[in-house]
Amino acid sequence: MGVFIVKRILITVPILLAVSFLTFVLISFSPMEPAEAILRAQEVPVITDELIEQTNEKLGLNKPFIIQYIDWLMDCLQLDFGDSYVKNESVWQLVGPSFFNTLKLTVVSSLVIILFSVLLGVICALQEGKIIDRILRTVLFVLTAVPTYWLGAILILFFSVKLDLLPTSGMSGMKSYILPVIATSLGYIGIYFRTIRSAMLNNLNEDYVIYGRSSGLSEKKITMHILRNSLQVSISIFCMSIPIILGGTVVVENVFAWPGIGSLSIEAILSRDFPVIQAYVLIVAVAFVIFNMISDILNAALNPRIRNDNS
Amino acid sequence: MGGSGLITRSAGLNNMFLKRKGEKIVFKKTWLMISIFVILSVISACSTSKEGEKEKSDELTYATVKDINDMNPHLYPGSMSAQGMVYESLVENTEDGIKPLLAKSWDISEDGKAYTFHLREDVKFHDGEPFNADAVKKNFDAVQKNKEKHSWIKLSTKIVNVEATDEYTVKLTLSEAYYPTLEELSMTRPYVFLSPKDFKDGGTKDGVKGFHGTGPYKLTEHKVDQYAIFKANKDYWAGAPKIKKITAKVLPAGETTLLALQKGEVNFTFTDDWGTDSINVEGMEQLAKTGDYQVVRSNPMNTSMIVANSGKKDSPVHERSVREAIWHAIDRETISRDIFSGTVKAADTLFASNVPYANVELKKRDYDVNKAKEILEEAGWKNSEKGTAMKKEGKPLTMKLYYDSTSPSQKAQGELIQDSLKKIGMNLELVGEESSSIANRRTTGDYDLLFNQTWGLAYDPQSTISAFTSESSYLHATEGIPNAEQLYQKIEDVLTSTDEDSRKALYKDILTTVHEEAIFIPITNGNVTVIAPKSLNGISFEQTQYELPFEKMYFE
Repeated sequence: MGVFIVKRILITVPILLAVSFLTFVLISFSPMEPAEAILRAQEVPVITDELIEQTNEKLGLNKPFIIQYIDWLMDCLQLDFGDSYVKNESVWQLVGPSFFNTLKLTVVSSLVIILFSVLLGVICALQEGKIIDRILRTVLFVLTAVPTYWLGAILILFFSVKLDLLPTSGMSGMKSYILPVIATSLGYIGIYFRTIRSAMLNNLNEDYVIYGRSSGLSEKKITMHILRNSLQVSISIFCMSIPIILGGTVVVENVFAWPGIGSLSIEAILSRDFPVIQAYVLIVAVAFVIFNMISDILNAALNPRIRNDNS
Repeated sequence: MGGSGLITRSAGLNNMFLKRKGEKIVFKKTWLMISIFVILSVISACSTSKEGEKEKSDELTYATVKDINDMNPHLYPGSMSAQGMVYESLVENTEDGIKPLLAKSWDISEDGKAYTFHLREDVKFHDGEPFNADAVKKNFDAVQKNKEKHSWIKLSTKIVNVEATDEYTVKLTLSEAYYPTLEELSMTRPYVFLSPKDFKDGGTKDGVKGFHGTGPYKLTEHKVDQYAIFKANKDYWAGAPKIKKITAKVLPAGETTLLALQKGEVNFTFTDDWGTDSINVEGMEQLAKTGDYQVVRSNPMNTSMIVANSGKKDSPVHERSVREAIWHAIDRETISRDIFSGTVKAADTLFASNVPYANVELKKRDYDVNKAKEILEEAGWKNSEKGTAMKKEGKPLTMKLYYDSTSPSQKAQGELIQDSLKKIGMNLELVGEESSSIANRRTTGDYDLLFNQTWGLAYDPQSTISAFTSESSYLHATEGIPNAEQLYQKIEDVLTSTDEDSRKALYKDILTTVHEEAIFIPITNGNVTVIAPKSLNGISFEQTQYELPFEKMYFE
């Protein structure tokens, strides 16, 4: 197992390098010269070639491309993403707090998603074809199809305006998590509970279930075995859902005025704040790589066959 | 009785069936219990979180789309309405002209080059530092040190020297007479005053250590992208304001703002710097109907327009007749009535008549599609086939109109105009782009037509007019007209004129020229709209769309 984990971690290094290189290259494809973007962001009214040259000189933008990349990478490793073009702050000062705000929302949502997907998935599998199964599947199917934007507004209208139970928006304590978490989770629960349900149904007819039953194992123990085997399929999906939510909370953040990384990135894109965009892309990409790795390791822990194949 | 027996029997059957799988029932029940527990706990968590957020009678919480950002008053990223609460200028621009503010009086030298300001002696910065001639000089010097960034405000290019002649007297020396000096000193930024104790390395251009101004409100707390709290300045020289606390709450989505207003979490909102409403017209009407809110609108503050790029030689828009035809083909009444539900007024000239020097007699160009067609035909444009674009010397009458893709109203206006132009044989292609990209087109001159807005009261007419000659603004739009050089000369003359009569005459000439040439095609006059609790009194407006006088408001 130890060998497997070390191997898996080592593989991420070249992947991360490739990711960082792509991030850097893609930004440099932008039609606007960085120096020009900086000057524009600072509202310099007349941009002359001299000013552009000065800015290039100051920020080392006229060094060879590969040197620029290595400089940037070295700084990034120390969480120094440079300074924002638009705001008078370092990128990490901007991205850091909003990243953690989004991360909090993501972690809570993921827990809710896991809890409810498993719960509903198991209920539906055990009640296959019965009325509860059908109702749950229909309701969740509809909720999955509902746009988050609309769902968010309806939740606010119902729970905070009509019932006056929760704040409409902002991040002002535990209760302000409830609505954004519901809005984020519902769609995912609708997808993942189906995965659990069908995985459980597939397992129901496996040999080990029949064998367990015939040797007199309790139905409860058999269900736990089925669940454990079904979860394996879902673990990778769950793990990937964290970075997906992390990179996709823009809409929820907008509706609920959540001071997260999604809104920050949109603002940065609109104002061509390249260092902030780079940091955002890099952070989300790293999150994908890391959670992918975690899911592989978890799967290996649950299923000896995987780690044996590899080692 | 027989019926109930049947039910008992079938229930018994059911029980028998289930008993065979007894284990499974226990399991099912456990899950059911867990799920009920989870749902109940979520609901109870909801109900325990009830908290009275009823408005207090001396507090306002306003919704803003963006964070107040960097409050450094000598740079541009900050929210102007927030800066307006905290910082003050020497003089104030009012409906009745320039009035004293931090300067109680001033003298202007004969040649118009020297301004001597006599300061109020009872003013302190929020950190307790005295406001005096020395502080004024330090602030002016800090602004001038970063001159390149302020070149849009022409005064910054004319200040030669600032001198503190005694503790409460400051002398400003200019390189030449410049009549909008007092107007430009009254603007929200950059010529406002920050406590010199907040300066970093003796200046402000690389950031500041604090945000202590002299204004009616102090910034006491700021959580980036969440909220900012301003508290009344008890020692304000004009008397402490009645509204004791103002919170700016960041709410990016208009739907949420509307709901938060209904709930009372925020109780105030107003149109942002660029006149875009975070709340749509229907939402506003709905709020007003509930009886808790009032909607207050200012006089016209600015003009929304289409800028026609006369300088683009290879485009039909280079021709005056084409620009005039477009002017005639815009149905402003319908735009005002249907797109803006009557909240803005149709505009016939670049500046509304309440703008200084703009009350000039100009030929009105009505909505008249036939007239538009006539003008084009007179200019030699011909319809080859019905339903296609007119042509002249083989060149089709086709142009692109750029609009801000985040503005639903610009798109709707564009479509309406596109439709009426199509009827007279002009092809208009609508292109939606982000605002920075449109600003870039304006600078480089790479456009036929684009939506834009005048800078608004206090900046109109002088700043908008001086932007006619600025490359980053309207130089490309104006340079294609036959007497462009003359126009630019007049603009330079009017800004340095010292005599009121010649200034009026020059403005008349300038406004007539750009009107005749139909470069700036007006559509509607925008205003500042405030949504406030019904019990709030004293809602008034400044002579600028960028600030609101919160210190004058009070609850009944």
